[in-house]
Amino acid sequence: MEIQFHQVNYVYQENTPFQYHALKDINLTIPSGSFTAIIGHTGSGKSTLLQHINGLLLATDGYVRIGNVTLSRHYKRQHIKSLRSKIGVVFQYPEHQLFEETVEKDIAFGPKNFGLPHSEIQERIERVIEAVGISKHWLNKSPFQLSGGQMRRVAIAGVLAMRPEVLVLDEPTAGLDPKGQDEIMSLFYHLHKQHKLTTILVTHQMRDALAYADKVMVLNQGIKYLEGQPADVFQQNEVLEKVNLKVPESIQLIQKLNKKFGSNLTYHHQSIDQMAKEIATLLKGYHKR
Amino acid sequence: MKPSIIIGQYLPGQSLLHRLDPRTKLLSVLCFVIVIFFANNWSSYSLLTGLSLLAVWISKIPLTYLLKGMTPVWFFVVFTFFIQLFLRKEGTLLFELGFVTIYENGIRQGTFIALRFFLLFLIASLLTLTTSPMELTDALEDLLAPLKKWKFPVHELSLMMSISLRFIPTLMEETEKISKAQASRGVDFKTGKLKDRIYAIVPLLIPLFISAFKRAEELAMAMEARGYQGGEGRTKLRKLIFTRLDIQFICLYSIALIMFFYIIL
Repeated sequence: MEIQFHQVNYVYQENTPFQYHALKDINLTIPSGSFTAIIGHTGSGKSTLLQHINGLLLATDGYVRIGNVTLSRHYKRQHIKSLRSKIGVVFQYPEHQLFEETVEKDIAFGPKNFGLPHSEIQERIERVIEAVGISKHWLNKSPFQLSGGQMRRVAIAGVLAMRPEVLVLDEPTAGLDPKGQDEIMSLFYHLHKQHKLTTILVTHQMRDALAYADKVMVLNQGIKYLEGQPADVFQQNEVLEKVNLKVPESIQLIQKLNKKFGSNLTYHHQSIDQMAKEIATLLKGYHKR
Repeated sequence: MKPSIIIGQYLPGQSLLHRLDPRTKLLSVLCFVIVIFFANNWSSYSLLTGLSLLAVWISKIPLTYLLKGMTPVWFFVVFTFFIQLFLRKEGTLLFELGFVTIYENGIRQGTFIALRFFLLFLIASLLTLTTSPMELTDALEDLLAPLKKWKFPVHELSLMMSISLRFIPTLMEETEKISKAQASRGVDFKTGKLKDRIYAIVPLLIPLFISAFKRAEELAMAMEARGYQGGEGRTKLRKLIFTRLDIQFICLYSIALIMFFYIIL
């Protein structure tokens, strides 16, 4: 589903002394099937923006189009459920939303709310636990007996069981160990490719934005600051440093090598091994000279 | 999140009312609450209303904001007014239509009691709007200190109070987060049958309780790790000091109260 933001403004607690203008004139198009990363400093409005995608927040001014639904402040809330069934949101620390007696019931909670038949839900549970790497023995356990990382997987399974067309991820790897982070991210990327999902990722990890996204948007104080392909956006060190963001380490390395050796290495989504080879060739040539 | 009620909220500022010692404010409000029950005629009520509006003006908090924040209270104010209006059957009869009768005293008492209600809420919100929760508990601990003689756990009580006040916004935030997560999974908190809406609270309450217990445990651990052992020999970061401002305020306030008692007696 294509997602469009048209002149979206959002003001928290309007007309009170606590009034806060969180989003300012945001225009944005997220093509169907794309992987978009949204980055920005704390308080830049990333989470506010995300919540407009499934109507948790409605724009104070302007509107958001998701597929053929238009969300604005005049939207009627009765219809929101059918929209929400198509949009899976993985919030920060999603394990905080677990509440059922068993893992199985918790995963089934979303699909059940959207009125799916029991047999369909059972089939989905089987698929989804395989996708996130949950063993069948856990299904009858209480989610609160599991470790933090395992709980996270259960919570993610609960969102995926809705079979969303749009996947919204709000720092899904925060607080996990490096191995867990990689596993979760590649899980999402695999699903994104396999089911042609439209994925929106909010992250602090520039590395993830560079590795997975087709498009990067930088938010700063509620304003769209920068937008483009990751490889281009992450070349602009000074522009990014102005809003306290850093270029990913791999690009930093390439830039430093180019500066020191006057070479012209580029980043083109190569793997670490590939990059190591390119650097090795460069250094060999340098050594001979 | 819309602020439905503003009692308990704090609005940082630099007005005279903000700078007053919290003990002065707490005692003044206490006096006001007692005194308002002695008011019995138009002039005494106008004096108290005037005083309250003066306090609002000094605090530099927009009156419209205060009034809007009291929306849930308006219902009670209006309700008490009508109860008094219809049920009091004293004084001259002003209006009669079938079984509805309105007497002069009904209007009088209705206005008075509704006004009393309104002023109490106004002053209470003004106190919390201009005084941070920390200041308020410090003031309470200080004022209750004499009770220590009778082994009353004053420090523990004020600690409990400040901890619970401190965690109200945190829990509110947590509630909002969890309700959004569950709403995204198809829970409908806002529409539907009453029974469904009651069931919808379960997925909100359980995670909330779990995180509250976890937080309490972590807090206890952190306090113990830093060697917390109660109020014995403890000093304060912010000392409460009576300034000239407080003396001036108390003088003016006392004059107003003397005037008030002159009017009613």
